[in-house]
Amino acid sequence: MKKGISLLVVLVATAVVAASAQANHQTSASAAKGFSCKSTFTLPFVTPLTGGAAFLGQEQMSWASYAVKTLAPKLGLKVKLVGGDTPVEQGATPAQDLAQKYVGDKSVYAILGPSTSGAVAASSATYFAAGIAHLSPSATRTDLTKTVAGVKEGTPAFFRDVPGDYIQGPSDANYMIKTLHVKKVVIMDFQEPYSLGLADSVQSVLNAAGVTTIRLSAPNTTTDYSAFVTKVPSDANIVFFPTQKPADAQTFAQQLLEQGKQAKVFGGDGSNDSTQFKVPGSYVSNFAPDITGIAADKALVAGWQKANPGKPVGSFGPPSYGAAQILLNAIHLACVADHGVLKSRRDVLRKVKQVSIKNWILGGTFKWSTKSNDPLNAKFYIFQIQSDGSYKLVG
Amino acid sequence: MDTFIQLTIDALTLGSVYALIALGYTLVYGVLKLLNFAHGDVFMVGTFIGYGVLQLLGGAESPNVPVWALIPIITVAAMAGCAILGVVIERFAYRPLRDAPRIAPLISALGVSFFLANSMQLLFGATPRTYNAFDLGNGELYFKGFDIGNVRVPLLRIITIGSAFVLMIALYLLVNKTRTGKAMRATSYDREAAAMMGIDIDKVIRFTFILGSALAGAAGVMFALRVPTTAAIGFVAGLKGFTAAVIGGIGSIPGAMAGGLILGFAESYTQGYISTKWSDLVVFSILIAFMIFRPQGLLGRADIRKV
Repeated sequence: MKKGISLLVVLVATAVVAASAQANHQTSASAAKGFSCKSTFTLPFVTPLTGGAAFLGQEQMSWASYAVKTLAPKLGLKVKLVGGDTPVEQGATPAQDLAQKYVGDKSVYAILGPSTSGAVAASSATYFAAGIAHLSPSATRTDLTKTVAGVKEGTPAFFRDVPGDYIQGPSDANYMIKTLHVKKVVIMDFQEPYSLGLADSVQSVLNAAGVTTIRLSAPNTTTDYSAFVTKVPSDANIVFFPTQKPADAQTFAQQLLEQGKQAKVFGGDGSNDSTQFKVPGSYVSNFAPDITGIAADKALVAGWQKANPGKPVGSFGPPSYGAAQILLNAIHLACVADHGVLKSRRDVLRKVKQVSIKNWILGGTFKWSTKSNDPLNAKFYIFQIQSDGSYKLVG
Repeated sequence: MDTFIQLTIDALTLGSVYALIALGYTLVYGVLKLLNFAHGDVFMVGTFIGYGVLQLLGGAESPNVPVWALIPIITVAAMAGCAILGVVIERFAYRPLRDAPRIAPLISALGVSFFLANSMQLLFGATPRTYNAFDLGNGELYFKGFDIGNVRVPLLRIITIGSAFVLMIALYLLVNKTRTGKAMRATSYDREAAAMMGIDIDKVIRFTFILGSALAGAAGVMFALRVPTTAAIGFVAGLKGFTAAVIGGIGSIPGAMAGGLILGFAESYTQGYISTKWSDLVVFSILIAFMIFRPQGLLGRADIRKV
């Protein structure tokens, strides 16, 4: 019996070694041959498709899907868009697991996303080591592209087509100081990278201007904010609430009213959703304007609406279309430079910053900053929610 | 003092919802010795049933029925829907495994949990659904009520806390004062002996699932009247309900009620008086402390074995 087991173990080990050798041989051969641009590229979109921020990921997927469907054929590319789910409630693990998976997939030459700052921080090094460009349409934490207090969590392979919190934080805080003339502000964070970065940034500008700030911190899984609302002083002017779940901003604003508190909620880009956050008088900031008001986007919006009947045009989708557009162009440029056979993933990575797009979906022309992997001259927009629930541009 | 009163109201609201969820865990555990990890997702389905019925009745902004009738209707609908779901889960996921090793139905329960969460997301998408109770009767559920000192106790919270306590008392009476309750208790003590005494075990177990799931449905509506719901909320709600059941003593009905309230108070007072960052830490530390020093929970029976 023991002999039989030993024989079985030896056979299994031999089979594993042989299979591994064969796989290595195939990988080396494939690397030597390169990847034909006539083959189908896999373009993963790493974004929350389930969980509390799934609305964001699904909106982004719909726009990226539309970009791939309409732009890839024009660039002579065959691209399969796949979703990689990173629920915000599960922290860094899904992003790390997906990064390992995509690095191992030889048809992956670029990554859309990760959509959230925490997921970028968790996976950027893995993508960088594999030479894979990853471009986020919504990760805004400052230290993903710039060094903050000696820390930079993104790598040179990480890009984003929306401005970072180094613009959003000061822009929101300055609006509170100069336009709203605030004296006391409650600042919430949700114990995850996006809100922590943004809350820190807003708090430092407010404190420097002599505004009193009170910091509250809620676990990312909080659904009922009553106890937090209880801690908001009656004389606070604003509660800065940088959530990634707009429905939570709505709950918080309603619970403020329930407890008779005067403070208004001021959300970041993560709460910008007019279908879910609609308590009049509240504020939101966002990296994108309402593209339905941009004349050059009329046909694009109509096309997307035809492909997605009944869905509203939100603010997270359009930058995802733009991100897909940039990556498809980078792959196209690399294919041209490599004469139709990509030698390495780094060939695509090197082309990303050469992409410039006229008639950019968010208006004007898209260009990269020469100092960081951020867009040039990008800005944040501040909206106030009106009594009919619409968002009015106020800053 | 105002802060204390407000936090106490928060704690009672939160705790009563946790208690209703915990009762579902404890009822099923009491009868089947099964940790029904799908229970949080039954709660989640309850929130969606309530939402669906509310929309059928015209939505919060322009309901077709008076506000005083609307909440009972959606609550009963969610309770009925969840009761049916509970029966289906028991019939197809647990009954075939009733005599299997205890790990088998546990794994099946986890499978049902994922199945429910993902099916709901596939069916209804990921966008959070909100009852918009704020719009009911122009905000009267939020702005009407009574005052304790400077603190307003809104109607919605009175309804939530009151309904939860009525349901808990009704359950207590049902289990302790009726023949069906006696059969449930007998099954809980010794299933085989109960069967030999002529008790229809299948019927008792089915009824237990109906009760537990109906309570989860009611809890779902009470929860979602105040905060948005998604297909993902079942996990955290289930975890809190399970914690409450363990703290109170899993298998003990008064224990589940007490556990839910303890959890609500711990969470609310920690957020109010210690730090908002620490609430989960404190809640789960209490769980660990109970597991170490009083594993049978507050009102549970110690598992004494003769050797």
